[in-house]
Amino acid sequence: MSPGEGLSMTGSILAVAVGCAAASLWLLLPRGEGGVRERMARRFGTLLGCVSLALFIATGHRLGGVGEEAVFLVVALVAVISGAATIVTRSPVYSAIWFALALAGVAGVLLVLGAQFLGVATIVVYAGAILVMFLFVLMLAQPSGMAPYDRVSNEPLLSAVAGAVLLGLLTLFIGRLSAGPADCCAVPSKATALGSEGAQDSAVADAPSADPLAANHVARLGGELFGRHLLAVEAAGVLLLVALIGSIAIVSRTPPEERVELARRADA
Amino acid sequence: MTSFLPAPTTIAALVKIGLLVGGLMTAAAYLVLVERWMAAWVQDRKGPNRVGIPLTKIRLFGLGQPLADGLKIILKEDFTPRHVDKVLYAAAPLVLLAASLAIFAAIPFGSVLPPLGIPGLPDPVPFLVAPGLDVGVLWVFALSSIAVYGVLLGGWASNNKYGFLGGLRSSAQLVAYEIPLGLGLLGVVLAAGSLKLDAIMNAQAETGVWYAFAQPLGFIVFLVAAFAEAARLPFDLPEAEQELVGGYHTEYSGIKLLLFLVSEFLHMVTAAFLIVIMFLGGWHLWGVTGSSQEVTWVGALLRFAILSGKILGVILFFMLVRWSWPRFRFDQLMNLAWKVMLPLGLANLVTVATVEEFRPQLAAAFGPSAAGWIALLVPWGVFFVGWIAAGLLTPSGTDNTPILTHGPLDVEHELVEV
Repeated sequence: MSPGEGLSMTGSILAVAVGCAAASLWLLLPRGEGGVRERMARRFGTLLGCVSLALFIATGHRLGGVGEEAVFLVVALVAVISGAATIVTRSPVYSAIWFALALAGVAGVLLVLGAQFLGVATIVVYAGAILVMFLFVLMLAQPSGMAPYDRVSNEPLLSAVAGAVLLGLLTLFIGRLSAGPADCCAVPSKATALGSEGAQDSAVADAPSADPLAANHVARLGGELFGRHLLAVEAAGVLLLVALIGSIAIVSRTPPEERVELARRADA
Repeated sequence: MTSFLPAPTTIAALVKIGLLVGGLMTAAAYLVLVERWMAAWVQDRKGPNRVGIPLTKIRLFGLGQPLADGLKIILKEDFTPRHVDKVLYAAAPLVLLAASLAIFAAIPFGSVLPPLGIPGLPDPVPFLVAPGLDVGVLWVFALSSIAVYGVLLGGWASNNKYGFLGGLRSSAQLVAYEIPLGLGLLGVVLAAGSLKLDAIMNAQAETGVWYAFAQPLGFIVFLVAAFAEAARLPFDLPEAEQELVGGYHTEYSGIKLLLFLVSEFLHMVTAAFLIVIMFLGGWHLWGVTGSSQEVTWVGALLRFAILSGKILGVILFFMLVRWSWPRFRFDQLMNLAWKVMLPLGLANLVTVATVEEFRPQLAAAFGPSAAGWIALLVPWGVFFVGWIAAGLLTPSGTDNTPILTHGPLDVEHELVEV
């Protein structure tokens, strides 16, 4: 098979995958209709989603060896499936839980790629802090049932198509990048390592390609952040501080006359 | 083709995981017995001392008790009430237990083994499941923040007001105390220059100065925050029996309740591990264990024993506190977190950063030994000043006069007028 023919084949697989993903998302997004029709739509949508996922994996495989590692495949699938589930479930609490799972998947992908700090920081910041606050608010604000606007999605067709097309383009672009120039990044060295005999050989051959991220990973990251990007880090810090002070100012705003009244009542 | 046997590093990791999980589960069971003994001792009674070998009259000081307790709770009916959210109700204990066990991937439970000479296995073998993880401390932090989900979801899925209140209280407490916990950690990380827990132990062994002595303020802040994170008395508001029945696990029974209780115990064990590793020198003891990375078998086992002994000591301290202190009220809890522990933690961090920054200059000016003393005395000065300031300046909130809040959400005082 010539490379050009292979690429056009890959392109058509990808196109089908994108189409399936868009249709599946459109079917799955909540309408608030209920009944048999919606249940059938959800079943069919789930089926189409599975098909499109399989096609996406096939595309990635053809484009540049994406999805050869079992662990990567598992965490990536967790991330994508829970991401989809986040937008198609109707209960806000479940959405938040699915989002947490999606974040765990993303953190797993980052860990597999060797970006340990980013992976763990994703969990600490998003799953551990922000999402817990979300859950808090959701649980406190809607103890009984959900608001009607939570049961219906806005513009299901447009958003489904846009999401699927974005996913397809990213797959194509990143796949081309990793398949493109022969000796730019870690992928070729991994390919040679897998071709060699024996697990120990592959471990030895893998070591140099994995090293730049693993050895003194955090120290290097810190050096980079507080060296080249010092200004950005400081600016972000100041921004957060301003937001913090602002929130305190908003919360503790009481009219002066009311404060006098409160003080009088406290004395009484 | 590659052979079917997994790589030696994988086998080593699996062996370590097996040892760790088995050891932790057994330890958790027997720690319950120890806790009951401790309770009995504090309350001047005998405690469990009868269950020994079944069908004989041999009592063995009650050492059979954990087995009997475990069998009993496992064989109980696993009842699911009809009003719960079934999926999350079942998932919550699993999330909590999985998170509390996964924490131990980054926690060393000894020093290193002497070289084994197995091909493919890097020597020396560390007592650590994931030795390549460069962000050990953050890993612990991340997974302990995941544990919040178990509590929150357990309370919410139970669809019971006591459970819900317990879950909310608990998650608010855990989120609030994560900040002093992180500040305590940061001081140590700054001084050791690494996020790896084994590197932090090595740094203490090399200088011989445990961080509890070098950073007394950080130690106190971390200790208090660790108590709160483990939800032990005086911070056991999440399941305050007198107010909330059982808190977030009110609606649970049988094996699911067991999972919750085991994870709570594991939290305490984790906290003890962290306190010992980060502040009490880990496996290091003056004059007994050296600081070198080359050890004999005796040395390796000795280090393991010292670490375990220290951890047991900290756990006994946890238990003694549990049976001697009353519980905080919720506003006292939050005051302590935000108005006492947070400023003290910041003061500690600034002190440590300053000392570490000027240590080379001090060593150049006064010689290394005097610089070491200065670096030790300055934090103690800050400790006393901070302690006194915290005692004098912070609102105590311990009296029982009603506190007037005047936030926009508060409607209490309008109701009073009607």
